[in-house]
Amino acid sequence: MDPQMMVELGALTLVGAAALIAGVAEDLESDVGSQSNPNSQVQLAPQMGYLHRLYNKAISGEPASYPFYAAIGASTALSVLSVTGNSGLIGVFFALVAGAFVTSLIHGVYATTSYMGRVASQSRFGQPIYLDVLRTHTPVLMAHGFVANFSVLLLSWVLIAQHFSPFPFVVLAFIWGIALGGVGSAVGDVHLGTDRYYQDRPYGSGVNAAHSGSVVRKAESGLRNSIDCAWFCSKFGGPLTGLGFGLVVYLHFWKEVVVTSWWSALAGVIIVAIFVIMNTYLERYSRQRYGTYKEEVEE
Amino acid sequence: MFSLLYWVWIILGGILIGAGVHFIPVGGAPAAMSQATGVGTGTTMLAAASGLTGLIGAGSAYASSGGNFGYTIVMGGVSAALMISILAFIANVMYVYGAGVPLASAKVKYDPITKWRQDLYVSRGTEGHGTPTVSFISGIIGAFLAGVGGALVYFALAASYAGISGFNATFGGYPAPYYVSLAAAFAIGIFFLNCVMASYNIGGTIEGFHDPKFRRLPKSIAASLVVSAVGGLFALLIVVMLPGGI
Repeated sequence: MDPQMMVELGALTLVGAAALIAGVAEDLESDVGSQSNPNSQVQLAPQMGYLHRLYNKAISGEPASYPFYAAIGASTALSVLSVTGNSGLIGVFFALVAGAFVTSLIHGVYATTSYMGRVASQSRFGQPIYLDVLRTHTPVLMAHGFVANFSVLLLSWVLIAQHFSPFPFVVLAFIWGIALGGVGSAVGDVHLGTDRYYQDRPYGSGVNAAHSGSVVRKAESGLRNSIDCAWFCSKFGGPLTGLGFGLVVYLHFWKEVVVTSWWSALAGVIIVAIFVIMNTYLERYSRQRYGTYKEEVEE
Repeated sequence: MFSLLYWVWIILGGILIGAGVHFIPVGGAPAAMSQATGVGTGTTMLAAASGLTGLIGAGSAYASSGGNFGYTIVMGGVSAALMISILAFIANVMYVYGAGVPLASAKVKYDPITKWRQDLYVSRGTEGHGTPTVSFISGIIGAFLAGVGGALVYFALAASYAGISGFNATFGGYPAPYYVSLAAAFAIGIFFLNCVMASYNIGGTIEGFHDPKFRRLPKSIAASLVVSAVGGLFALLIVVMLPGGI
């Protein structure tokens, strides 16, 4: 094997691992904060008469907030690098840590104002602002956000250092932030929204629209909070999100490293075809395994 | 260097982005509760997530091929299609194994591609769940179109800015010249313009080309034409005052 390709594949493995960790941390962060899609249920619950102790933060959709965190982190990291002038491994590492740290501070500010603002607007429904929820959850989601953002910055930096992409650091981190938010919002949220928030409903069906807002409020012991949700989603939703984002980043560059020129386009088409076939099998399996919800009526 | 042909590429790219968004199966927030068919995130964001991943592919292809037009736009489309196929498949794994629901569409009785029955598999009080084959294929077509559109916009801007001598300079140890950054930033802007226009036209959720909302596509094309023409003109005109701009 070409030595250059081996170095590139090694770097790509690091990138894929960073993407996997980013995906897991991103999904768990959105579970603690109940950001993105399932937040509609948390927001709706007090209006339906179900007061709860879940964290309610919807700064924006995940695919909008993560690129901005990544861009802030990348700009900070570049500023730190330009001040220290140390572009060695340690210098870059601490610059990325500094970028992710500043990002998590901004994340904490947004999360606090978002929680206070959203819950305060529901005072007419009797929903209290729980200061202990704010105090215990905010550092947890900031920490998860730190891990996710550091991983995005790391993978963007490795991609640039290995000349995988000509795009500048900030733009590349921004775009991978959008992709990370997209995967986190599309994959991980289903585990939280369909399963965890409606655990008292029978398993194996979508949530009936008539039940919207009646989220589960009691935990295995005491009242449920959002950290319990992250514990539950870390068993399947988080890892699957990580796998999804890891695959997106890894296969995107794998097709350009292993083969070059027009062959990489062909490799991309073949991978897409494989996913189409796998999806068709999955659909058929789900139908045979779970069966129908209604009886067929002769027309 | 400013050229009318580049402007045409940007307008065509914008129309392709706007059209591509209509193909992508978007379930929005209800999809996270398995209440709607499609991938569970917003229209603009899903299209941007896949299309801009395509832009990364197009950027690498443009740089490695020395500005080969065909290779750049094909790699943009293929990279975007790859992203959405992984995303929709992994989301389907979550629906099947995490939520225990079969993949079904509520807009058609039979899947036009597999001919499988749909309505019996839709649970009570929902509008379908997951991304069934027809929506999956539609999403791949949509992401390909959006990726090709984004790559066309990037190609036009990069080719236009590369003609300016000052933009060919590099900064510090950074290998890529200035024009790459500028073209990428403007391409992201024009991408979002067209995604948001299409998203208003769709208004929430869409399952793909078999959805009745898909018939609204002509309006979106007209809107994309106007916003891309204006946005593209601004993006191209920033260079005319510079040495070598015209």
